[in-house]
Amino acid sequence: MHTYIDKIREIASRLLKEEAVEMVIGYQEGTLPMISPPMSVRSAEDVEKLTWSSHCCINLANYLTDIKGKVAVFAKGCDCRSIVNHIAEGKVKREDVVIIGVPCNGMMERRTISNIFGDEIEEVVEEADGTVIVRGKGREEKYQKSDLLRQCCRVCVHKNPVLYDELVADPVAIPEDIQRYKEVEKIEAREIDKRWKFFENLISTCIRCYACRDACPTCYCPTCFVDEAQPQWVGKGDDEPDVMTFHILRAFHTAGRCTDCGACVSACPMGINMRAFTKKLEKDCLDLWDWEAGLTSDMRPALETFTPSDPEDNFK
Amino acid sequence: MSDWEPKIVAFLCNSCSYGAADLAGVGRMQYPANIRIIRIPCAGRMSPKFVLSALREGADGVWVSG
Amino acid sequence: MLTHIGIEPERLQFSWISSAESTKFIDVVTEVVEAVRKVGPNTRLVKNMVREP
Repeated sequence: MHTYIDKIREIASRLLKEEAVEMVIGYQEGTLPMISPPMSVRSAEDVEKLTWSSHCCINLANYLTDIKGKVAVFAKGCDCRSIVNHIAEGKVKREDVVIIGVPCNGMMERRTISNIFGDEIEEVVEEADGTVIVRGKGREEKYQKSDLLRQCCRVCVHKNPVLYDELVADPVAIPEDIQRYKEVEKIEAREIDKRWKFFENLISTCIRCYACRDACPTCYCPTCFVDEAQPQWVGKGDDEPDVMTFHILRAFHTAGRCTDCGACVSACPMGINMRAFTKKLEKDCLDLWDWEAGLTSDMRPALETFTPSDPEDNFK
Repeated sequence: MSDWEPKIVAFLCNSCSYGAADLAGVGRMQYPANIRIIRIPCAGRMSPKFVLSALREGADGVWVSG
Repeated sequence: MLTHIGIEPERLQFSWISSAESTKFIDVVTEVVEAVRKVGPNTRLVKNMVREP
């Protein structure tokens, strides 16, 4: 059992009893192992259903847009930056949300675990020392959590919440030797045709279910560009140009707003790593405008501001 | 393929480049006939959708000018 | 971004021309056309493309 769980339930039940909030958004135990679905709790009796694990991959900031009434939400470092983003963009009011910060040591990738274990998994248990015990088909294996982390969690440098009303635990240490953009640099180093092949291959399995869009907290347009019919900018089939257009535009909409929470990748039924698109934009925002999403709500986002010193190398 | 000519979709701002194009026309200046001009009210009207849909419909290049 | 995923940078160009600069307009048009001519026909992101045998 995770050490945070008692504290999480205690905070949730206190806030509900005091009627400080109408609802608490957190995670529950899923019916399948390695998936923690989101849940909303409205009464103090139900807080026992709340849980915490290393499978809380979903970004709960997604449920805050245009919400009515006062709510409390559990937020990891990346979720918290998404909430700051929402505040900056006017999608949620700071006074309407109680942010319960959860310092995060990274979430695990369920596909990695399944691949290593091989058989069907019945149970995954985490020990406090970072050992993960996987059980299934009458056998049991032990792994290190650090080997099973999601790719985005491996390169995360904002593990601790940036804006919170309460913290569940003390902030966690952030390793200094993280190479944040190793993946992007690897792609950048390739020739242009190889890059095209790489991305063509990356999206070749996409079934256009839009799970990545739905899981993404930055995607809240009333009518998404893929649902527009007049004019129709993106074809609805699974033709490669259409799928590629969808992924390019989806990524572009998150430019300067994506917090690399990895919810899109975790939600994808086909296991597509669409972070290959968004991570590049994140890197560009940092390189060109020294901007990182969700660290402050006092500054306007990179693509919303103009200064005479902005780089314009690609202008004639 | 030797007679291939590039097709370029040009998105021109009404008050800047479109004016320049108009002036070039009035001045009877010669320029390549490969561009298909689309007038937009302002370069701020530009959206990545336009670029991608131009490429999708078979344009060989896209030129945005304010 | 498009360059990153493998669209040739010549295919998408930006410029800034005042309405009085018809000569600059001519220069840039020529430049853009020549740049695209050099990279050849676009094969990426094109819908219903008829491939040459």
